[in-house]
Amino acid sequence: MVQTIHPASYSRDNKGMIMQIMNISTPRACFSLTLLAWAISGVLNTAHAEGYEIQKANRSGVKSDSWSCKQCQPKTGRQGNASATLAYNDGEDSRFGNRTGTDKDGLVGAVGADMQYQAESGYHTRLEADKLGFDTGSAKLTTGQPGHYQIQLGYKGLANYQYNQLKSPYLTDNDKMLLPENWVEGATTQSMPLLQSSLIEQDLSITRDRFNLGGYYAGHISSSSRYKASVNYQHENRSGAKKTSANILTNSVMLAHPIDDSTDEINARVYFGGAGWQAGINSQISQYKNDHQALLWQSAYTPTFGATYFGQNAVAPDNKAYRIAAEASGGQNGHNILMHAGISNMSQDEAFLPATINGPSPVLPTGNLDAQVDILDMVLKYSGRITQDLSVQASYNYQDRENKTAQLDFPQVVTDSFHQGAEQNRLYDKRSKQFDLKGKYRLTPSAYAEAGYSRDEVIYSELDRQSVDESGLFAKLSYRYSPAWSAWLKGETLDRNGSEYDPVTSTQSPSNPWLRKSYLADRKRQKVTLHTDYQSDIGLSVGASLHSIDDDYDHTLVGLTQVSYLGYDVSAQYLISDNLSVNAYLNQDWHDSDQAGSNRFSTPDWYSTSEEKSTLIGAGIAYQNLLDNRLDLGLDYSYSDGQSDTEVTYGINSPYGDYYSRKHNINAYAKYKLADSMSLRFDWLFEKYQDANWQNQNTTWDTVPNVLSFGDISHDYNAHYLGLTLSYQM
Amino acid sequence: MNKFARFSSQFSLLLALTTLLTACGGSDGNDGSPGEPGKPPAMTITSLNIIVDKVAVTDGIAQVDYQVSNQDDEAVVGIPSATFIAAQLLPQGATGAGNSSEWQHFTSETCAASCPGTFVDHKNGHYSYRFSTAYNGMNGVTFLNDATQRVVIKLGGDALADGTALPITNQHYDWQTSGNTLAYTRNLVTIETCNSCHSNLAFHGGRYNQVETCVTCHNSKKVSNPADIFPQMIHSKHLTGFPQSISNCQTCHVDNPDLAERQNWHRVPTMEACGACHTQINFPAGQGHPAQADNSNCVACHNADWTASVHGNEDQMAALAQFSPSISSASMDANGTVTVAVTLSNPATGTVYSESADKLKFISDLRVYANWGTSFDYSTRSARSIRLPESTPVTGSNGTYTYTISGLTVPAGTEADHGGLAIQGRVCAKDKVLVDCSTELAEVLVIKASHSYFDMSALSATGRREVISNANCASCHGDQQLNIHGARNDLAGQCQLCHNPNMQADATAANPSITSFDFKQLIHGIHTSQFAGFEDLNYPGKIGNCAQCHIKDAAGVSTVALPLNSAVQPLALNNGTFTSPIAAVCSNCHSSDTTHNHMMQQGAVFAGTKADATAGTETCAFCHGQGAVADILKVHPIN
Repeated sequence: MVQTIHPASYSRDNKGMIMQIMNISTPRACFSLTLLAWAISGVLNTAHAEGYEIQKANRSGVKSDSWSCKQCQPKTGRQGNASATLAYNDGEDSRFGNRTGTDKDGLVGAVGADMQYQAESGYHTRLEADKLGFDTGSAKLTTGQPGHYQIQLGYKGLANYQYNQLKSPYLTDNDKMLLPENWVEGATTQSMPLLQSSLIEQDLSITRDRFNLGGYYAGHISSSSRYKASVNYQHENRSGAKKTSANILTNSVMLAHPIDDSTDEINARVYFGGAGWQAGINSQISQYKNDHQALLWQSAYTPTFGATYFGQNAVAPDNKAYRIAAEASGGQNGHNILMHAGISNMSQDEAFLPATINGPSPVLPTGNLDAQVDILDMVLKYSGRITQDLSVQASYNYQDRENKTAQLDFPQVVTDSFHQGAEQNRLYDKRSKQFDLKGKYRLTPSAYAEAGYSRDEVIYSELDRQSVDESGLFAKLSYRYSPAWSAWLKGETLDRNGSEYDPVTSTQSPSNPWLRKSYLADRKRQKVTLHTDYQSDIGLSVGASLHSIDDDYDHTLVGLTQVSYLGYDVSAQYLISDNLSVNAYLNQDWHDSDQAGSNRFSTPDWYSTSEEKSTLIGAGIAYQNLLDNRLDLGLDYSYSDGQSDTEVTYGINSPYGDYYSRKHNINAYAKYKLADSMSLRFDWLFEKYQDANWQNQNTTWDTVPNVLSFGDISHDYNAHYLGLTLSYQM
Repeated sequence: MNKFARFSSQFSLLLALTTLLTACGGSDGNDGSPGEPGKPPAMTITSLNIIVDKVAVTDGIAQVDYQVSNQDDEAVVGIPSATFIAAQLLPQGATGAGNSSEWQHFTSETCAASCPGTFVDHKNGHYSYRFSTAYNGMNGVTFLNDATQRVVIKLGGDALADGTALPITNQHYDWQTSGNTLAYTRNLVTIETCNSCHSNLAFHGGRYNQVETCVTCHNSKKVSNPADIFPQMIHSKHLTGFPQSISNCQTCHVDNPDLAERQNWHRVPTMEACGACHTQINFPAGQGHPAQADNSNCVACHNADWTASVHGNEDQMAALAQFSPSISSASMDANGTVTVAVTLSNPATGTVYSESADKLKFISDLRVYANWGTSFDYSTRSARSIRLPESTPVTGSNGTYTYTISGLTVPAGTEADHGGLAIQGRVCAKDKVLVDCSTELAEVLVIKASHSYFDMSALSATGRREVISNANCASCHGDQQLNIHGARNDLAGQCQLCHNPNMQADATAANPSITSFDFKQLIHGIHTSQFAGFEDLNYPGKIGNCAQCHIKDAAGVSTVALPLNSAVQPLALNNGTFTSPIAAVCSNCHSSDTTHNHMMQQGAVFAGTKADATAGTETCAFCHGQGAVADILKVHPIN
């Protein structure tokens, strides 16, 4: 993701409409995250329903009574272990903390535990704790009778450390970002006399504290049917700061925007099941609250028009979402059907900020957006075994996203001085229908062929194209050459087109009539994957695959015209003995894309190619039970390198500069058993990391006259973590 | 293309190359000889055509091969001198984000008696010139492969060995080192647009007469004063005395599809181009505009549409297109009272406004003027008028209403003559539509005035002689954009209703003819910077090119040809004397004692009696008449 320093892309205090758009767009990001989580949970729930009916297997001859697992017998009473860690952590560059779980520099400590109590009655209680003392510590207490009821109380810390070495003269005071009291404004960054002496380090990291309380209750309705009801509540607090920008006219500043917000979520589900069927209802409610109402920031620049000493940006608005879904699955005689339907609603009615705080703000048509978005989604799936050798799967997905927000005329303020008429908020509805059909045929006991057809139809509103559809065909051939060797080859072709391309005219910045936006443009895609596995009976296994994708935007004159991916990966593991194993892997990917543009608002006159390359290489060794079964050793090393080279040709060729990141990692440990109940573990983590981006490389706070930036936003560090952990087995 | 496909196409290209090499037998070939003469030699030359065949670079040195022919496509051999200018164009953004494309001068080499490079006349109309040295490093400019290059060839201003004069001709040729298609150009204006107001612009002793030539030297690598860089220079030179709205960039940057970069005026704003007109702004110092160190941010606020909308008049034109008044009938009684019917229509919808002007609240002003006597340039300088918004129509309904204008002077015996009518007005508009004039922020727009003629009984196609046209005025003043006295812009037929021979010249002036408000005297006086108050006017064309304003008659003869139309009256002076008509108008420009004496000797009357001045004693046409030895159509640089 290229971060462009371009004032035009900054949200601006004095651009009424932009702030309103932010009000809409930010919750969409929150919603989409939540939806993703739901989608994933949905997949997990239904995965078992897609199988080939294990409950229908012929089990009459199975003597399950003799399967009793002697080692699995739950031990009653108390047992567990506790540990304490003392470590040296190099926190000079906080980014290393993403690896270790803490960004503190110097000595750090944490404790961990895993203790459980099992009663004869089946009652079970467990307390788990990990890295408590670090930002990413966690703790969980569960109690109940597994399979019947359970209550769970948990805590988990998450942290994302970005930068701690960037400097800026700004100080945060609640909703305000202020400059030192004696600050002297300048027309440009070079003419701010106190800039250098006012610089202070900004901590750009975000930590989350996630608490949850939940439980389930399960029982039988009859001998063949059962039910399970569960409810879970989660509260998450987020705090820290992230990089943002703000501007007044063309003068902009980079800010460490404070983040303090919370999300509450309740999930409740009731499921019923029996032999060959399952049905249930699940529902979610979530609410987002931002502790900040706005971001008020002091301008570092000499006011140009009037007394523009402050600017104000909107922040993510409070919002709510709920969802309720029902699903049912079942089948018999080799035929299975799954049905799913859900409705979701997202809303926000946060009060608008004034379009500008500098001078009179134009009257807005409403006090808040009162945004409402409804989503209806339905899934119908069938899978069946038609003959002994042929199985078929078909699915139909329908999703309708309807924005029910009122469409109003909002005043369009380009800058404080230019009021450019009215513009309506856009509603961007989307309706998609997706159909998949595939069949799998066993040719011989060691070979099978698979083929499928897919069709995806999407209808949009207020975009350059009203409808886009994509059809695809794939074929896959799998072959097992020997018990050790197997391979498969898959080829897929997809063709996307749609209704007439008609650029939206109701905008202040119409797009070039020759431009075809890549997500709406006609496209022909070819995918090929070749995969092979080797597994010997002497402990060696090797896997390799080669994949390529070619995208041809065949009717695009201006825009993305061609993309190609090529990659391979190879991995090997060798179990030399019961105690000694080694592994190694190598992966390389190339991603090239071609783009055509026009400086004349016409046919193309400039062309750019972007060549991205990534390499990941690593190896590891694990040696256990040394020194009379007292010592375990492990060492892993990995190197990753990603880079992008972009060249623009507008007659003459202009290559962009450095854009890369490189990382070496070493992870070594030694675990020594001091006594039967006590062991000492030593960990050494090492990371060498370097990245660069030509857009800010070798810049300082005042390199760009109208951008008071963080300077060179890059990392270059060698960091170590040395930890000693003492564990006691109870 | 993925790596495999790329490899395979490279491999097949390699195969193809191998095959080609085999077929050629490995020879690298010799340079071809210049083409054989394909054209007969030129005998007469009124114009030169230069066709550049190619520019080839060997050892870094460019050679241009070109051919020259005359107006009849006959080869011109033995041209004694030529100038070759070379320049390179850096693409937009190459010198910094937001910067426009920029020319860089390499060299200008002239071959006459001596030659810095190698000049070859192939004696068949083909010529070659090899520059003195490699472009790279010349004038401190680095030659860039694939950049757009320009060579300009300037010929003429001298003569062939046999004395045949060669007209000055500039020809440019844009090329790049690889491929024929130029990746980018900088084509913003055409010399034809310049010459629509400036006739046949030529500078530096007349040697350079094309925009494409000017820019090869007027750039930062050649001129020491930044104000002499072409865009800034041209913009600032037009700042004062520009004969129409300076804010309408499209007066020069016309929407001509042949100009690839015609939209640069609103798509590529820079402090250099914009600052040349907005002179109150000091961008780096932050005076009059927030401080801007460079051009990287201009477009962030001044996006293309915004710039176009504030420098254009699209909104206003859209509103004006919704109103058009016309005189639908006219007649006059013996007392000089004219009855006119006015119809107000909306051409945008093809409908008429059913109400009369006094009821239509978007009309700010609408007046009809009338005068009598088109065959003698009107009977009085006080044309009678009526204001429609303040008048209740005499009769009328459904969009056509009748009014009366009384008090016209109808001299006895002129009842069979014709009268002139003009209608002018202003309307109120906002956001492209006509609105009630009391609307807040409504803009008052001037409509296009028009004129018509009538006789005692009806409207008539016959009227005052037509010697100029609004279209000709428009070449410098815009299409009826020059509003005199607020709303009068029909220069061809309206002004004359009052500015007529009844106006009197200052008899005490050294040259009384250019003190009269009579239209012809007034216009000649203004455009020659002689009329009081217009001394600073700098006429942009050749003042002797009468055809820049004057049209031809139905027979295709210029209306300035002698003899003059009989309607032209003598010049009235404010001491009661008169100057004969031809002498009066010619002496607007030709005012020396010598010409004065020459005119008197040939029958002209200066400050004489009206009888003498109208006696027809002027014999000018004898020598200066159409087809005569000194036909004024020939002695003036008319084209």
